[in-house]
Amino acid sequence: MNWGFFATTVIIYVVTSLIAAWGLDLQFGSTGVLNFSFIIFVAAGAYTAAILTLGSPSGPGNVAQQQYFAGATLPFPLPWIGAMVVGGILGLLVGLVALKRLRGDYEAIVMLVVSLMALYIVLSDVGFLNGASGLALIPSPLQSGGNLTGGTGYGWFYSGLTVVVGVIVGFVMHRLMESPLGRALRAVRENERAAEAMGRNTAALRLLVFALGGSLGALSGAILVGFINAWSPGAWGFAETFLLFAAVIVGGQGNLVGVAVGAFIIFGLIIQGVLFLPQIGGDSALTECLQWITAGLLILLSMWLRPQGIIPERRRRLSRWIAPARRKRNGSGLLRWR
Amino acid sequence: MSLVIEAAGFGVVTAGVVALAAVGFTLQFAITNIFNVAVGSQLTLAAFIAYALNRTGVSIWYAMIAAGLFTGVTSVLLNRMIFQPFLRRGTSFFGLVVVGIALLLIIQFSSQAIWGASFVSYQFNAGGVFKWGPLLLNRTSLILLGIAAGTMVAVHLLLTYTRFGKSMRATAADPELASSCGIRIQLVTDATWFLAGMLSGLGGVAFGMTLGAFSVSMGSTFLVIIVAAAILGGVGQAYGAMLGALVVGIATEETSLLVSSAYSQVAAFIILILVLVVRPEGILPGVARYRGIAT
Amino acid sequence: MALDPAQPTSVAGFRQRPDAVESSGVPAGPPILEVAALGVTFGGVRPVVDVSFSVKRAAITGLIGPNGAGKSTLLNVIAGAVRPSAGSVAFEGKRITRPSAHAVARLGITRTFQLSGEFGGLTVLENMLMGARAQRGESVIGALLGRRYWGAQERALITRAKELLEECGLVSKLDDYARDLSGGQRRIVEILRATMADPKLLLLDEPFAGINKSTARGIETYLATLRARGMTMIMVEHELASVDRMCEDVLVMARGSVIGRGTMRDLRGSRDIRQAYLAG
Repeated sequence: MNWGFFATTVIIYVVTSLIAAWGLDLQFGSTGVLNFSFIIFVAAGAYTAAILTLGSPSGPGNVAQQQYFAGATLPFPLPWIGAMVVGGILGLLVGLVALKRLRGDYEAIVMLVVSLMALYIVLSDVGFLNGASGLALIPSPLQSGGNLTGGTGYGWFYSGLTVVVGVIVGFVMHRLMESPLGRALRAVRENERAAEAMGRNTAALRLLVFALGGSLGALSGAILVGFINAWSPGAWGFAETFLLFAAVIVGGQGNLVGVAVGAFIIFGLIIQGVLFLPQIGGDSALTECLQWITAGLLILLSMWLRPQGIIPERRRRLSRWIAPARRKRNGSGLLRWR
Repeated sequence: MSLVIEAAGFGVVTAGVVALAAVGFTLQFAITNIFNVAVGSQLTLAAFIAYALNRTGVSIWYAMIAAGLFTGVTSVLLNRMIFQPFLRRGTSFFGLVVVGIALLLIIQFSSQAIWGASFVSYQFNAGGVFKWGPLLLNRTSLILLGIAAGTMVAVHLLLTYTRFGKSMRATAADPELASSCGIRIQLVTDATWFLAGMLSGLGGVAFGMTLGAFSVSMGSTFLVIIVAAAILGGVGQAYGAMLGALVVGIATEETSLLVSSAYSQVAAFIILILVLVVRPEGILPGVARYRGIAT
Repeated sequence: MALDPAQPTSVAGFRQRPDAVESSGVPAGPPILEVAALGVTFGGVRPVVDVSFSVKRAAITGLIGPNGAGKSTLLNVIAGAVRPSAGSVAFEGKRITRPSAHAVARLGITRTFQLSGEFGGLTVLENMLMGARAQRGESVIGALLGRRYWGAQERALITRAKELLEECGLVSKLDDYARDLSGGQRRIVEILRATMADPKLLLLDEPFAGINKSTARGIETYLATLRARGMTMIMVEHELASVDRMCEDVLVMARGSVIGRGTMRDLRGSRDIRQAYLAG
C-alpha cells in the first residue's frame, strides 16, 4: 500500500469536499433548504478548468481527440478562476429558480430534478462535453515547471496547495458567517417576510449566496480535476450529490467546524476508509455498493439520533462584545415579568 | 405527419406506464403529505423482482402482479417503520425528503449489490403488431395500455364511489377533521401506501417491458419523469397526474422523433422547469396552494 | 373625498369633532402619509376600495373594523408588501412608485406583524440588531474586512439594543433564542426591534392580539412613550379598549372602504358605524 499516495488522495478528497460542503452550507444557511442540485456547480467547475487547460478541441492539446465545444490553454491559476466565474453564474441561474417561494420539500425535489437533468444534457450531447466518456488526459496545474515531474512529489505539493486553498476558503467563510451579513442570511432563513420588513433585499441576498456557493463548488471541482486528470458524468451523479449534503447533515449545518467533521467522516472514513477492507468475495463493485448503503444508513441514523448534526449551529452570544454593565433586573422597566 | 401521430401513439403508451407510477406518487402525497422520493428505487426493485421471477419461468404478467404486491407491502412497512416515526419526531417535510433519499440509496444499491449494474431484459412474447391508421403498436404495448387504463378507472371508482375512497379523500383534505369523524387514519394511511406502492411496482415492471433492456439506474431516470408528470398535472391531484403523464409521455416521444432520442429526457426537464417558473401549482388544482407548497 | 382630520366631516349622518389635539409640544405638521383613492384587486376580490386619508405626525392613528374589512391589506400596501391596483401612497410628500417591502422600509416605514414576526432561531439581541439598517458589516466587502471594520458600529448597536431591552425588563433574555420567549415577550421584542430602525412611521398589525392584560399595559405605556418622542404610528387593532386609550384619531373600515373617522367615543356614538361593524 503506497501510504504516500493514499494520504495525498485522502487529503485532497476531504479538503475539496469540504470546500464544496461549505458552499452548500452557505446556501443552506440562507434558505433553510439544501440545494440538491449543488453537484452541478462542482461539475461545471471541473469541466471549465478542464477545457481551459486542454486547449481548443482542434488544437494540439487534445491528443485523444475528445469532443467538446470550446477550450483554451490558460496558465494556472486562470482555469481555476474561470471555473469559479462559471460556478458563480450557474449559481445565479439556479438561484433564480430557487427564488420562487416553494415549500421546503417541493423545492428540494425540484433541485434534485435539475441535477439529474443536467446529467442527461451532458450525456446526450456528446459534442458539448464528450458525453459519457467525459474528458481525460487533463494536464495538472504547474506540472511542466520546476522540479515537479509528477509522482509522489507532485502529489504532496498538490495536497499542500489544496490545504492552503482550503484554509483561505475557511477564513473567508468564517468572516462571512460571523459578520452582520451572516446574521442577515440567517434572518432570511428564519423569517423572510420579517427580513424584508427590516429593509433587507432578500432576493438579492439569496442570489448573492447562490453565486458564492456556486463559486465554491466550482473551485472544488477545479481542484479535483487537477488531481484526477479526468472528469466524466460518472463522477457527479445523483449519489455524489447526496454525499455532500450527508457531510452537512451529519456534521452540523451552519457550523464551519461541524461541516468539516462531517466531510471527514463521509469522505475520509467511508469513502476512502473502505479501501482498507478486504475485498468482499473479490468483488470491488460490491464494495462500492456497500459504501453507498453505509452512507444511506449513516444519514438515517444521524437524522434520527442527532438531527442538528454532530456540532450544531452555534448560538451567538453577542452580549459578550460589550462590557457587561450592571444588569438591572426589573428596575425602571415598563414591564415586570414574573 | 404520420410519424408524428405514430410517435403520439407511443407517447400514449409511455403515458400510460408513467401514469401508473405518477398517480401513485401523487395520491401518496395527497393523503400523507409526504413526497416519497424513494419510489424511484422501489420501482427499480419491483422491476428486478419481476425479472428474477421471470427468469425462473414465471410469466411476466404474473411476475408483474407479484412485484406490485411486494412493493405495496414493503411500502406500508417503509412508512410504518421509517416515515411515521420520523414524522412523530417532528422532522420537517424537507427532512423527510432527506430520509427518502437515504432510503433511495439504500434500496438502489442493495438492488445493485444483488443483481449488478448490467442491463437485463424480460422474457415475454411481444405479440403481433397492430396497425391502426398511422398508429403502430404491438400486443404488449396494448396490454400495458389496457392495464394502465384499467387501473386508472379502478382508482377513479375507488376514490369516487366507495366509502373507503371517500375516507381517503377526506383524510387528504383534513386529517384532523377526518379523524374526529371516526375515520381510522392509520388504516387509510396504510391503504394509501399500499396502493401507491402497488402502482409503483406495476409501473416499474411496465417500464422494464417498454424499455426492452434496463438496469438498476432506471430508478433515477424515471423518478424525474414521474415527478415531472405529478407536478405538471397539479401535485396531489390524481387526474392531474394522469394528464401530466400524458403530456410528458407524448412530449418525450415527439422529442425523440423530432430532435433526437438522446434528448427525450430533456423534454421532461424543460416541461418541469417551465411549469415551475410559470405555474408551480400545476395545471389542475392540486393541493399545492392550500398546503403552502407554492405561493 | 379625503378624510382630513383638520376638518369636521359628516359620514352617514355622523359628525366628527374638530381635531385640535397636539401631543406634548410636537407641532401638528404636514401629513406624513397620504393615501389617495387606493384600491386593491386580486383574483376577483376587492379587499380595498377607494380609500383616501392622511395621517397626522406624532400621533397614533387607529385602524379598526370587522374581520375582512381590509385593514391588514391596507397596512400591507402602505408597508409595500402588496401592490395597489389603483390609487397612490405618498410618504412625506413623495409618491411611493415602486413598492416593495424592503424599499419602503428603507424610506423609514417599519412594521410589526400580527403573527410570528420575530426571528425564532436568532437570539433576542440578534433580533434587535436586525432592526438596525445600513450596517457596515452587511456588505460582502464589509464582511470580509472583518470585525475591525464593523466592530465599532456593532458595539454601539448592541449597547443601544441593551438599553431598549432594559427599559422593558427583557435584558436578561439577551442571548436567548427568540423562539424560547413567551408570546408577549416576543411581541415586545418585535416592537423594540422596529424602534431600532428609528422609523418615521411605525405600522403595528394587531400588537395586542393574544397578549395578556399586564403585558398589554406595558406595551401601551411604551407606545405612548414613543409617541411622546415624536413617532408617528398606525395601529390596526381589534382590542377597542386599547385603541380608545391610545388613539385620538381612529379610522373605521368595513368591506374595503373607510366608513368613519374620529375618536372612539364619537364612533361608538354613531349607530351607523356600530351597525356596519356588527354587520361586517
